[in-house]
Amino acid sequence: MARKVAVVAAGHSKFGKRYDATMRELCAEAYKPIYDAGVTQDKIDATVLSYAASQFTGQGAGSALMADYLGLQNKPHLRVESACTTGTASLRAAWGMVAAGLYDVMLVLGVEQMNRVSSAVATEYMSMAGDMRWEYPYGISFPAFYALMASRYMHKYDMPHEVLSRISVKSHHYGAQNPKAHLPREVTLEEANNAVPICRPLNLYDCSLITDGAAGVIIAAEKRVKEFTDQPMWIKGIGAGASAMMIQDRESLTSIPGAKRAAKAAYDMAGVGPKDLDMVQVHDCFSIAELIAYEDLGLAEPGKGRELIENKEVYHDGRIPVNCDGGLKSKGHPLGATGLSMTYEILKQMRGEAENQSRQIDDVKIGLAHNVGQSGQFVNVFIFERGW
Amino acid sequence: MMTEKKELYLGYSSDKAVTPFFQEFLEFLDQEKLMKSVCTQCGTEFLPPREHCQKCLSLCELKEFTEREAKLRSYVVVDFAPESLASKAPYVVAIGEFPSGLRLTAHITNLMSVPEVGMALKLAFDHIDEKKLTYKFLV
Repeated sequence: MARKVAVVAAGHSKFGKRYDATMRELCAEAYKPIYDAGVTQDKIDATVLSYAASQFTGQGAGSALMADYLGLQNKPHLRVESACTTGTASLRAAWGMVAAGLYDVMLVLGVEQMNRVSSAVATEYMSMAGDMRWEYPYGISFPAFYALMASRYMHKYDMPHEVLSRISVKSHHYGAQNPKAHLPREVTLEEANNAVPICRPLNLYDCSLITDGAAGVIIAAEKRVKEFTDQPMWIKGIGAGASAMMIQDRESLTSIPGAKRAAKAAYDMAGVGPKDLDMVQVHDCFSIAELIAYEDLGLAEPGKGRELIENKEVYHDGRIPVNCDGGLKSKGHPLGATGLSMTYEILKQMRGEAENQSRQIDDVKIGLAHNVGQSGQFVNVFIFERGW
Repeated sequence: MMTEKKELYLGYSSDKAVTPFFQEFLEFLDQEKLMKSVCTQCGTEFLPPREHCQKCLSLCELKEFTEREAKLRSYVVVDFAPESLASKAPYVVAIGEFPSGLRLTAHITNLMSVPEVGMALKLAFDHIDEKKLTYKFLV
């Protein structure tokens, strides 16, 4: 029988172009608030480092560097990698170790430093997560994969680009209120809809940012939770899914099949459904990804996701708030940190600690994090429950 | 007597990971023949080809793929390209679906305007340069 596991503390660095820091300092920024909350090194049994792409920094053995820098050099550590879903994959791995009884208290820390190279080189590295033999030779960048989904979706449901721009406007509205965000500024619908093209039909404001940053959480077995907090967030459901490597082989381009499978598994494990959710963090690496996520998670029927954004149901005071921290679009997307940043945000919202009441969601009892890797080859869905 | 292997690459790649199976595929492509693979045990077909069957992991053999007409399943116009293709942007990447249901990802090279999902495509071949070969779509 698996032990109950809770998130008991979380920390987050400032996201952005962090030329002032390396991954060492970013990790320290994310761990320091956790340390200040009482989870000192002696209380941590082991660490998982979520670090997706060492080619950006050239740093190998990242978990050893991170552990050493944080004063955890004598504690077991390991690194997990699964593209953009590395954060929740790390959390899933750590959850397994704690639930099984191997450790009681673990630090799961995600970091990425992507701005040590130019945008074109970063785009090159990320395109290498496509099939190197059959896709990479044709220059299919990370946004290009999602543009292939967008073209098909817009054709199938006769949807104008403006719907996607409304998602970008929401992301920036909330990012502007998040002091940790990479690009904290509002954009108008006109700006978002008429921005420079990146991978048509997607433009600049449809795309998430190339970001440096770190985020981390502490998870603990039930018997240890009270040592750290009286406001734990229980890990209630975990679902993982996968999709075909080559995007041409997917049964659908208007849905991410692995995300639907991951969502179903998480809902089943948690014993809840989409109607029970009070807030959702989705993997909006591109605006189309957020729209598709509404449908894959069962928040809307296929083809009807646009109604959620057009009716502002996904705003903080709407029926089902989504990404009221700015999401990957405005807050930023440092690959290894992203899934843990989502977890951090859900804990923060549950505790009523959003910096600004204009992005604080009321009375969050159940939150969901949806984290997608590359163009859907990996997906993790976590469901968290307020424990007080 | 060993014959010297011709140095060939697919598309805009300079990837040196050319296995004997892939080399054979490229040599056929050099003759403007696109090869699919067929599992020697269960008969499952793959395009692009793979050396091992995805279903039973048996070895596959290359067979010529003769369909030439496809429909555009989806597309992207890449304006901001990865560094290695920056000089080629903008370019159009398409997923074409053939009547058999097999699909192929390649560039459309003769478009004068933004493509439309569902439009007819024709499979064609090209030598990008002396060593780089490709299959492509034309409208």
